[in-house]
Amino acid sequence: MSRQQVHGNPRLRKGLGSRTSDSATVMEDPPSGDWLTLRSDQFLKWVDEAVYNVAEKTGIRDVVNRVTRPIFNWGLRYSPWPLHFGIMCCALEMGAAGGPDHDTERMGVVYRSSPRQCDVLIVNGPVCEKLRPKLKTLYEQMADPKWVIAMGECAIGGGPYWDSYSVVAGADTFIPVDVYIPGCPVRPEALMHGFLTLQKKIREQEPGYFLRR
Amino acid sequence: MAEMWIHMGPQHPMTHGLWNLRIKVDGETITDAEPELGYLHRSVEKIGERRKYFMNTTLTDRLCYASAMTWTHCYCLTAEELMGVEVPPRAKYIRTVVLELQRIASHLMWLASYLPDLGLITGFLYGMRDREMFLNLLEIPSGGRLLYNYVKIGGVKRDLPPGFDAKAERVMQTLERRLKEYEDLYDNSKIFRMRTDDVGCYSASDAINWGITGPNLRSAGVPFDLRQADSYDAYPELDFTPVTTSAGNGRSDCFSRYRQRIDEMYQSMDLVRQALVKMPEGKVMAGSVPVRARGEAFRRTEDSRGEALMYLIGDGTDRPYRWKIRSPMFTTVSAAPHFLKGYKVADVPAIMGSIDMCIGETDK
Amino acid sequence: METGQFVQQLAKRDGASDGSVLRANVGRITVTRAASQAFFRVLKEDFGFDHCSLISAVDNQTGFELVYHFSIIDMEGQMLEVHVELPRDTPTIDSITHLWGGADWHEREAYDLMGIYFIGHPDLKRVLLPDGFAGHPLRKDYVYEIHEEEW
Repeated sequence: MSRQQVHGNPRLRKGLGSRTSDSATVMEDPPSGDWLTLRSDQFLKWVDEAVYNVAEKTGIRDVVNRVTRPIFNWGLRYSPWPLHFGIMCCALEMGAAGGPDHDTERMGVVYRSSPRQCDVLIVNGPVCEKLRPKLKTLYEQMADPKWVIAMGECAIGGGPYWDSYSVVAGADTFIPVDVYIPGCPVRPEALMHGFLTLQKKIREQEPGYFLRR
Repeated sequence: MAEMWIHMGPQHPMTHGLWNLRIKVDGETITDAEPELGYLHRSVEKIGERRKYFMNTTLTDRLCYASAMTWTHCYCLTAEELMGVEVPPRAKYIRTVVLELQRIASHLMWLASYLPDLGLITGFLYGMRDREMFLNLLEIPSGGRLLYNYVKIGGVKRDLPPGFDAKAERVMQTLERRLKEYEDLYDNSKIFRMRTDDVGCYSASDAINWGITGPNLRSAGVPFDLRQADSYDAYPELDFTPVTTSAGNGRSDCFSRYRQRIDEMYQSMDLVRQALVKMPEGKVMAGSVPVRARGEAFRRTEDSRGEALMYLIGDGTDRPYRWKIRSPMFTTVSAAPHFLKGYKVADVPAIMGSIDMCIGETDK
Repeated sequence: METGQFVQQLAKRDGASDGSVLRANVGRITVTRAASQAFFRVLKEDFGFDHCSLISAVDNQTGFELVYHFSIIDMEGQMLEVHVELPRDTPTIDSITHLWGGADWHEREAYDLMGIYFIGHPDLKRVLLPDGFAGHPLRKDYVYEIHEEEW
C-alpha cells in the first residue's frame, strides 16, 4: 500500500515530512489490533478507519460539528494570534497597535514569535524576490487554521515600488490573502479594523473543527 | 568542540527588521558571524531614476520608516545643492525643529524595541507611549503619522500652525519627567546592567576604521557630529556641543550606547527649544524651484543613526541620472562580526539591538 | 590644513588632476585607475582621511566612474571627493578594504549592483541581491519588466 493511500488526510500528511517515509521502509510493522503500539503513520491510518469513517457514516460527525462549531469558532475568533514579523513601515504601526495607546491585546491579538503558535500572518511591507521563499516557508510552517492579512499598499500590489525589479507585485501572488488593509502606512486603527473584519470572516465562513479533514 | 552555524533571521525577534544574522558558535561562544541583507532590497536607487526629483520624497520617506523626516531632509538638501535653491530662513528653522522631534521619536522607538529584548517589557510599553506624543506632534504640521512628506525641495510643505510651540513645550516637559523615571528604572536595574555592561565593546579607533558613525561612534567618546562638522539648516546658529559617552578608555559598550541615546534626547529637546525661540517670520518655501537639474552634488546629514549621505547626478532632465544613498547602518552592520566575536549567543540581542538597526535604509 | 591647500598638494601627485574646491571644507579630485592605490594610501596615511563615507559607482554609458567620498573624523569635517574612471570592458580596480575597513560592504554593493570588480577584496560576493541573480541591475543597459505607463 502506498503512502498516498495510507494517509487520506492531507493536513496530517504535510506535517509528517519525508523522514517518516524513509523509516517506514526500514522498520517492520508491529502486530495489528493493539493501537497503542502503532507507529505514527499507522496510527493515523487506524484513526481514519476506526474513528473518522465511522463518525462520518453514522452522521455523528455532523451532529458533533454542529454543536461544537460555535465553541471552536468563538475561540478562534477572539484569539487571532499574529506572527511577530516586521517587514517595513507598517511593522512599526503594527507595533504601535500593540502598544499602550491602541492595545490590540484586548481583542485577543497576542504577538507570538514562532510561526507554529500563530494563526495570522501579517504581511506588512513589500515582498522582495529574496524574501518570497522565506515568507512562503513561514506561511507553510503555521498550523491550520491560518489567515493572512495584507497590510498596506506594498503587500497588496507593490505600492510605491510597483516598478521595481526586486519587489513582488503583491502578497496574493503566492499566498492566499484573507483581508486587505489599504493605507501607506496603515494606521493602527485600520489594523484593528482589519482584525475585526477577520473576526467577521471567521464567524461567517469557518466550518467546525471536529474531525476536520 | 564542534562548531556550528546558527541562523537568526529573517524572522527572529532579535532582528528588528528583515535581515539574517548567521553566527558560528563553539559551544555558546560566538567565533564568527555573517550578517546577510537584501530581504528588503526595493531598489530605491534604480526606481528613483525613473521618478522626477520632487517625486522621490515619497521613496526617501520610506527609506527609514522610524526616521522618515531626516532621510527626506537629506534628499532635499542634496537636491537643493544640485539645483542651487536657497531655502528661506524660517523653513530652515522649521526643518531643524521637526528633525530634532523626529530624532527623539526615533530614539524612543529604539528604546521601545531594545528593552524587551533584555527582559524589560515595560520598556516597550513606556517607549511606545511616549513615542505617540511625538508622532502626534509631527502630525500637526505634516498630516502624516509615520511618514510625513513634509520637507520639500526648497523648504517645507506648510508653516507650523499657531500654538505649536506651546504644544511642543508641553510634550517635551512630559518626556523630560519621564526620562528621569526611565533612568531610575533602567540604569539601576541589575538585570539591565548585567546584560549591557562590558558587552559588545569596540574601541573608537576600530569604530572609525569600520565606518561606524553617529550615536554608535559618539558612545565611544568621539565628539563627531555632522550637525556641526558639516553644518546645515539652522544648526550653525544654535548653541550646542556634541554629547559623548564612553565606557572608559575610548571604548563603547551596550550601556554607553544606551546612555548616548538618552543624552541625545535631552540635547534634541534643548535644540528644539532654542530653534522655536529663535525662529524668524517669513516664507517657508523658496520662490521658484527648478524642475530640471544638471551637475552633481552631495550632502551629508546627521541622521538618527549616523552619517547619511546622498549623491545626486543630474543630466539636465527632470529625473536624476544617478542617485546614491549612503546608509549609516549598512556599514555599521558590516562591522557586526568584529564586535560579536567572543561573546555568548545570549548577548546577540543585547549587542545587535544596541546599535539601532533599521533595515529599510540598509537594504535601500 | 585648508581645503584648497591639500587639494593642490594632492593634485600634484602622479595620476591626479582637476583639483578643485566644491564648497567649504569639501574638495574634489580626479585620479587615474593606475595611480589610485598609491593615492589612497597617501590619503589615509599622510593626510589623515580616516573615514570612507561612500563608494558610488556611476554608469556613464561609455564607461564607469567610481566616486569615493572620504572624510576626517573631527569637528572641521574635511571631505574629499575622488573620481576614478574605469573602462567599460574591464571595470576593475584595486580594493581599498585593507586601508578602510568600512569600505568592505560598499565595494560589495558596487559589485552587486553595478558589476565593478575589486581586486584584492577578501569576500567579493553579492550583498543585497540573492545569489544567482542575473546581471547588475543599476547599469543603464539592464532591462527588466515594468509596467508600460509612464508617470
